[in-house]
This record gives sequence, C-alpha cells and structure tokens, in this order.
Amino acid sequence: MIHLKNIHKSYSKKSVGVKDINLSIEAGEFVSIVGQSGTGKTTLVKLLIAEERPTKGVIEIGGWDISRIPNKHVPFLRRQIGVIFQDFKLLEKKTVHENVSFALQVAGESSRRIRDIVPRVLDIVGLTDKAHAYPHQLSGGQQQRVVIARSLVHRPKILVADEPTGNLDTLNSQEIMEILKKINDFGTTIILVTHDRDIVNQLGRRVVTIHNGTIVSDEKVGTYRLQ
Amino acid sequence: MMSLFRIFRFACQDIVRNFSLSIMTVFILVLMLLSMNTIVAIRALTEEATRIVKEQIDVSIFFSHTATNEQIQEIRTVVTNFPETIGVTFYTSEEVLEQFRAQYQDSPDVITSLDELEENPLGPTMVVKTREPQDYQKIIDALQVPEYESIIEAKTFGDTEVTINRIEVITSQVERFSVALSTMFAVIAFLIIFNTIRVSIYTQRTEISIKKLVGATNWFVRGPYLVQAIFFTLFSIIIAGGLVFVGVQSLDPHVAVVFEKNNVLTNYFTSNILLLTIVQIVAVLLLTTVSSTLAMRKHLRV
Repeated sequence: MIHLKNIHKSYSKKSVGVKDINLSIEAGEFVSIVGQSGTGKTTLVKLLIAEERPTKGVIEIGGWDISRIPNKHVPFLRRQIGVIFQDFKLLEKKTVHENVSFALQVAGESSRRIRDIVPRVLDIVGLTDKAHAYPHQLSGGQQQRVVIARSLVHRPKILVADEPTGNLDTLNSQEIMEILKKINDFGTTIILVTHDRDIVNQLGRRVVTIHNGTIVSDEKVGTYRLQ
Repeated sequence: MMSLFRIFRFACQDIVRNFSLSIMTVFILVLMLLSMNTIVAIRALTEEATRIVKEQIDVSIFFSHTATNEQIQEIRTVVTNFPETIGVTFYTSEEVLEQFRAQYQDSPDVITSLDELEENPLGPTMVVKTREPQDYQKIIDALQVPEYESIIEAKTFGDTEVTINRIEVITSQVERFSVALSTMFAVIAFLIIFNTIRVSIYTQRTEISIKKLVGATNWFVRGPYLVQAIFFTLFSIIIAGGLVFVGVQSLDPHVAVVFEKNNVLTNYFTSNILLLTIVQIVAVLLLTTVSSTLAMRKHLRV
C-alpha cells in the first residue's frame, strides 16, 4: 500500500531530515513510528502528505508516485489520507460541525451528503452534543476527537497520526488510542508517529524506530526501545 | 457552482466573524477614496478658476477711421478662419463711443473733453476670443503685416500678454502640483491598503495552512478573500460616495461666493459620476485583489 524507497530529505547541506528510508506498509496495518524529538518523524509525515518533497527516492501510495506530485494534485492526495496533528489544527472561527464539514466542502460534496455524514462521524467520536461549539470551548481531548472526525469524513484508507496524544493527559490519550484502534479494526491503515513509550508498548503492534533520520529497527510486534 | 456558492458563503461568514478587521479595512479604503476625491475636487476648482480667468481675456483690434468696411470684413475673415478662434464680436464707432461714455460716466472731465470734439475720435473695434490664451499670439502675428498697418491702430494683446503668461505658468504649476499630490496619495494609499490586507491575511495564516492541509485547492482558499475584497470595495465606494456627496453639497455655497456660480462642485461630480465611479471601483478592486493575492501567496505554499 505505502512504499518508501531510498527516501532522502535534506533542507540544506547541514540539515538532513531523513536519509535512506526504505519502508513498506500493507493495507490494514497499525504501524507506530517512534523516535526522539528531531529524529525525522514529522519529516516523514510531511513527505506522506506532500507538504514536503523528497530530495531523493520514491514514495508510492496505492500505486501513485507522490514523490514528484504536481502542486495541483496535492489537494486530491490529502483528501485520501486522513491526518491527525498534535496541535489539532482546527479552524478557530468555525464550529465543530463546520470544521468537519469543511473537509467535505473542499472536495465538492453535496450539502445533502454533508448533512448525512457529519452527524454520524461526530457520533462515532462522541461529540454530537458539541456540534455547535467552537474549538476554544472544547478540552484538548475533545479537540483531538474533532480532528479525528474531520480526518474520517472521506473514509480514508490511510490515517496518519502525528503525535496525537502529545498535548493530552493520560485519560484523554487512552480515549484517543481506543478510537484509533477501532478505526484500524474497520480496515484503515494507521501510521502513528509518537515518542510516547507507554502507548507504543500497550499497542503491541508493528514498531519502526527512527534515529538520526534513519530506520534503526522495524519489528512486527515491537516495543519502545529508545532511552 | 456549489463551490462558488460555498466560497461566497465563507466570505460572508469571514466578514461577520472578523468584524473589527473588516471594519478597519473598509475604513482605510474610505480614507483612500476620500483623498482621491479631494484631489478631484481641487482639480475641479482649479479648472473652474482657470476657465473664468481665461474667459475674461480677449484681444481687441482697434481700427482707424480710414478703414473701409471691405478692409474690416477682410480682417474679420482672416481672424475667423483660424481654427483657434471661437468668437469674433464687432462694434461700430458709435457702439464703441457709447461703451466709452458708459465706462467713464463718473469722470466728467473725460466726458467734457469728449464732447468738445466735433467728431467721434473712436474707430470701430473687433473683439476676438480664442480657445487657449497662447493662441492669441498667432492672431496677432497674422495681423502684423504692412498692408494692415494703416487699418489697425492698436491691439490690446500687449497689455494682457503678461497676465496670460502668468495664468499659463500658474495653471501648469497647479496641474503639476496636483499630479504630484495625486501620485503621492496613490502611493501612500497603496502601501496602507497593501499592509492592512497583508496584516489581515497574516493573522489568518494558520487558518489558510489548515485549509490546505485538509485538501482545499488554492482557489478554494483564495476565493473567499477575493469575494471579501469585492465586498470591501463596494462598501467603501458607497460610503465614500455618500460622504463626498454630503461634502460637496456643504462646500458649494462657499465656492459660489468665490466663483459667483452655484453648484460648481456638485455639477462637476454629477457630470463625471460614471467615470469617477468606474475609475475608483477599478482602482480599489485592483488594489485589494492584487494585495490579497500577493499577501496570500506565501501562506498557500503548504
């Protein structure tokens, strides 16, 4: 499903994001990409959603080579990959309902379909009663659930979660992880980028460890090994 | 169609939800338009003043007593044939005498001296008006030939030449000054508007990047800002138009005292309303759309 071949990304001669990354992720997998801060995890996420282009190498998603994707095709790629960010990235001046709807509106979905899908997705993440609240009126955990709802509306085959529990307390983190596991159970491939040892160890799924921009280990059922 | 409707709706939502920023942008635009219209009003007043002064200038050709009707007619034909000539008025010796008497009715000495003469000492006179003051010289030059020397006694252009030249200098200086002032205002207005819109978009940079990250195309992000620019343009044109109307209405009575003519400014603005509105709409629309496009370009690279 996702193939990264010899990926190298450098911002300047001295600043290298990732180097020699070779990684294949199959449909339906739940992969944790772990590593300490500044090791290239977020660079990898940015490469997957074409926020950055690799300096060298090929990235294929579902047979689509996105390594040299033209700018005008990027929105179409992003509508097929759900992304969850650590800092939520919600539109502050839009309500919960509007934030989730927006992801469908940009894709040109009909108002009827939007009225049908959005309440169902909000129900899945347990935010039906907060539909008309603004992001600043929600807790961190609730905001992250809005982000998950927004990323689910397109029924993506891949969901990339970049430090989704980074700004949350333990209880909220557990809730978010439960939702992600549920989404994975429905067949969505999950790529979880984190440096949260407890979460990775509890999951008991595939773990890819990155250190200094390179993959140092890839275990089918792994644990967080870094200090 | 659906996207257009949504872009329009998002633009309306943004105007309402960023109300203070919207008000500030419209306020700055109104100030810019008022500056532009002040320049227009100054030009209108300058033009009117110049026109009045020019109207008062003419060339009088005084004929000698010996000039025959044929000779006078010949000169009239020569003068009339100039494309620059817009009017020729002829006064007979009797009419000139009458005017002279009327002019000096309060000077008994002059009138007594005139009465002592047995014959009318004043010959016929021709008053010529041209389009522009500098055209008078051409007419004078055409009459400056030996064959007319015995017919024409005098030409008054020599007396008014200095005045005409001074008016030319003043008019060109005023025009140059108003062009410089307009350019300066335009540059200042452009910088203020550009920065206002840039700040407005800068405050929304996170929102722009989020929209891009959830799959919005550049046009879907840019669209509401362009629609807002159109709204801001229309609002500011309407508000500034209303203020200008009230302004000229209240200024006109004062202007009438100086020019002895009513509604100088109102008439000027009314007769040029279409041109002024179109020019201002195009200028503000270009300014707002170009500014927002340039300001947004950087934030769209996500």
